[in-house]
Amino acid sequence: MSCFDLRRVAMAALVLVSSTGLSACMNLKSYVDPALVPVAKSQLPTVATPKPVSVLFEFRTKGNANPQATSALQGRVIAATAESDMFSKVSSTAGIPDAGILKIIIDNVGDQGNAVAKGIGTGLTLGLAGSLVRDGYACTASYAYKEKTYETTLNHAILTTVGNHRAPPGLTAVTPMDAITQVVDQLVWHALKDLAEKQAFSAE
Amino acid sequence: MLRFGRFSIIAGIALIAAGCISTPSPKYQPSISNTESLLKSAVKLRVGSFVAARGVEDKSLVIRGWQLEGGSDGTFGGYLREAAIKELQTASAYEDAGEFSLTGTLTRNELNASIKTGSAIVGAEFVLTRDHEIVFKKSLEARHEWESSFVGVVALDAAVANYSVTVQKLLGKLFADEDFVAAARSKPSR
Repeated sequence: MSCFDLRRVAMAALVLVSSTGLSACMNLKSYVDPALVPVAKSQLPTVATPKPVSVLFEFRTKGNANPQATSALQGRVIAATAESDMFSKVSSTAGIPDAGILKIIIDNVGDQGNAVAKGIGTGLTLGLAGSLVRDGYACTASYAYKEKTYETTLNHAILTTVGNHRAPPGLTAVTPMDAITQVVDQLVWHALKDLAEKQAFSAE
Repeated sequence: MLRFGRFSIIAGIALIAAGCISTPSPKYQPSISNTESLLKSAVKLRVGSFVAARGVEDKSLVIRGWQLEGGSDGTFGGYLREAAIKELQTASAYEDAGEFSLTGTLTRNELNASIKTGSAIVGAEFVLTRDHEIVFKKSLEARHEWESSFVGVVALDAAVANYSVTVQKLLGKLFADEDFVAAARSKPSR
């Protein structure tokens, strides 16, 4: 590669980095997908005899374990489980006598559309060509007590507008952190509601 | 001002080239499958010392001029030890005064964050003793690959996160090893 070629590569890299930096300054708004109708605490079934539960949580990104995100969101999953009032004690440690095991896996499956192409288009036009990205989350929750195991699966999403793109109709913008917190809370409560309706927490 | 700016850029490049920018090892997060393996085997262990074999990188791993530091004691042997303790504690399988003691020697410790694909290989020889008698000794190795990036900071972040995933995989191999489980549940012969 000649020296001239090297300079062109360096310049291209500089433009790429600059446009990435400028893109970061663009207007970015998050919205919680309304497709999964929020469940309120009052809608959660009452468990007659709450038992202790060990919560095992793992966050994945496109099927691969993501320990940093697991660490960041584990507290929220434990808190949402405790706030359900369906258990006498909630712990992140397994192997507690007479405790059921609630396993929750949330997989950030990403955008089903062409997020990268949309992002590049928005970046290169400095936000004039805005884009809407749908970030999907697939949740698998199971509850095991003694010999019985119950399972449910759910899907949720965060919609994010980047640059000059109008908000999805009827939705209110929230910060990305609030969006992921709402998604995790709702996935946990929906999962607990589904499992309770399958009589998982009444098992003896 | 211009001269100072040039000096700052040169100093920054020199620091990166010298590998002076370091990042601590990630907080270890136990994996669900490892917890399940430990619950299934119902073993109870304490954890002894973990060291590195001669020639194995134990203090820092260099990724594109950045340094990933070892565990809280500054070594990767220590990081593996802390990871094993966290896994055992999460499954209520850690017993500080138990008869079985797990020790280890790091035999391989590699981390790569190239432009397209990142990879890590972590290997260790695990030794399980019961009352100072060796009941299990085996070398295991875990390999892991992930999508890396052209952008250095993104590649570094992914490499740091995936190093701990590789350690999860290594401990997963140990906890699921039939010989290990049999040894950890064995009774004294006398």
